[in-house]
Amino acid sequence: MPRFSASRPPRDERAAHQARGSGSGTGTGTGTAASSPAPAPSAPSARSSSAPSRAGSPGAAPIVLDGVHRGYGATKAVDGVSLAVPAGQVVALLGPNGAGKSTTIDILLGLTRPERGTVSLFGQEPRQACASGRVGAMLQNGGLLPYATVGAVLDALRGLYPRPLPTAEALRRAGATELAGSRTERLSGGQRQRVRFAAALLPDPDLLVLDEPTAAMDVAARLAFWAATREWAAEGRTVLFATHYLAEADDFADRIVLLRAGKVVADGPTTEVKGQVGGRTIRATLPGAETGRLAALGPLPGVTRAETRGETIELTCADSDRALRALLAAAADVRDIEITGAGLEDAFVALTSAPAGHAAPAQAASLQGTASLQGTASPQGTSSPQGTSPQDWAKETSR
Amino acid sequence: MNPALLTARYTRFEIGRIWRNPRFLIFSVTFPFIMFAAFTSSDATDRLGDITVGPYVMVSMATFGAMVSIVGTAGRIALERAGGWSRQLRLTALTGGHYLLTKVITSFALALPALVVVFVEADALGRAKLPVHTYFVVGLWVLIGMVPLAAFGIWLGYLLRADNAAQLSGAVSSLLALAGGVWVPVEQFPDWMAKIAKALPMYWTGDAGREVIAGSWLGWHGLAILAVWTVILGRLAARAYSRDQLRA
Repeated sequence: MPRFSASRPPRDERAAHQARGSGSGTGTGTGTAASSPAPAPSAPSARSSSAPSRAGSPGAAPIVLDGVHRGYGATKAVDGVSLAVPAGQVVALLGPNGAGKSTTIDILLGLTRPERGTVSLFGQEPRQACASGRVGAMLQNGGLLPYATVGAVLDALRGLYPRPLPTAEALRRAGATELAGSRTERLSGGQRQRVRFAAALLPDPDLLVLDEPTAAMDVAARLAFWAATREWAAEGRTVLFATHYLAEADDFADRIVLLRAGKVVADGPTTEVKGQVGGRTIRATLPGAETGRLAALGPLPGVTRAETRGETIELTCADSDRALRALLAAAADVRDIEITGAGLEDAFVALTSAPAGHAAPAQAASLQGTASLQGTASPQGTSSPQGTSPQDWAKETSR
Repeated sequence: MNPALLTARYTRFEIGRIWRNPRFLIFSVTFPFIMFAAFTSSDATDRLGDITVGPYVMVSMATFGAMVSIVGTAGRIALERAGGWSRQLRLTALTGGHYLLTKVITSFALALPALVVVFVEADALGRAKLPVHTYFVVGLWVLIGMVPLAAFGIWLGYLLRADNAAQLSGAVSSLLALAGGVWVPVEQFPDWMAKIAKALPMYWTGDAGREVIAGSWLGWHGLAILAVWTVILGRLAARAYSRDQLRA
């Protein structure tokens, strides 16, 4: 099992660091984690003296995407994504394959130019923010140069940042110390990921961007990886990671941004988005359902997706209580009512897989439901973050 | 960060890394070394136009070795694009322009061993007896003649996919060498082929070194052809490069 260095520090410590970090806009100390045996003072990097070249606007948000669009031919890979991430937040960019996660990340790192919309990292152009070493990224195909040792490749990268960590320190934090002498072309998938993680930590960044970081890792490596990332984030820094595993987002993020077909379909604190995604399912018999009675009832509040099979109706609900009351009020003869907790993964699939515009008639209600998640027409659902602009949301969570 | 410093740092790393790759040494240095010994073993003193076979083949083999290094940029760029290394570098303070600059400096620096080895070999075997400074002038002209090929290598690097870049740039190098009179003097080609060869840069690349030994220099005509090709290939390289940056 790979040896990542850290155990998990308490949350409130993160909040404390965060308060410091967001005030000055220059990030916080370099120290090793609270749980590490060696204390911080000997760490060689000198953040305190680094303020001038890390400028940008002081206190500017690590990430601001505003109305970003990008297509490939006829497909809209990213279709109007707006997102503001305050310092110290751990954000999961969640969505199925092809939802636009990687393109969004490429745009936000300045690797792809958006057709419309603007991007700024710490109030700077992405390119500048990267060059000044404030951003570290683990790209999905992020390369390692072949025919060289891991140590040599990292040393080479290190020379291209203004205030890097020592290579040994980056390797230690990524749990890859023993790989320093290995040739890059002979690494296994999991080892490769750890070295990439070390490369992302190398600039000693204030923002880490991780595109499906655990893709090639086994379970143990995954846990160790997230522990190391948490240690790093506990120092008041910002993390944005893309994943298609809901559980991973749930376990490690403060906030989930759910993408579907290039659009943000939900954005909020992890518990809330999970509540929306992982609601309950109502199953019941509705006489006449096979002839379209359910659709005729009109949209039911709290329902994110509705299906009929013969006389059986199945309602996937964000708020099953409201849905049930409305259903009983609208159709008194409904019977055999059964309410189950929906599997989180199933609900996630339901929410992220129905592209608008391709809905079958039976899904009319479901369109209503998902539309409400996008914050378009939503008289119901007051507790969800729909309708809150990214900026508002940033304010709420910057505490 | 100071771009010159970044470029210097990264170039040093790049040179060290390629120098330790045995495949590079085999094609760029060992191969010309062996070929020179073989081609000049029987008739080193025969005359070929204004110069004898020994110095002629010496220039040809030095040119070939230098070309392997310089056109080899294509394979290196293609590989780094495919492996995502270029994307990783774009997240550093090294700009795209400086990346290309390191590639060019590296390829010219790694062209030197071939020149030195073949010159020393020719001199030591007594198959070319030239004043020391003439070797330097020949080397300099060979490198000047390589400038359009440096642009060509970059262009090819953004044009080709990694899986076929190595083979294709090998094949292209062989054709270039042929056009440059590296294997057979262009004067012995059929007339129409000689005409084509003389419109291509590589003939003048080879000629740049040979003219020095013949006691002359490349001449304005040859220099103009090299310059025109540098502009054409440089433009193509720049276009392929920026297309790659937008897509990546």
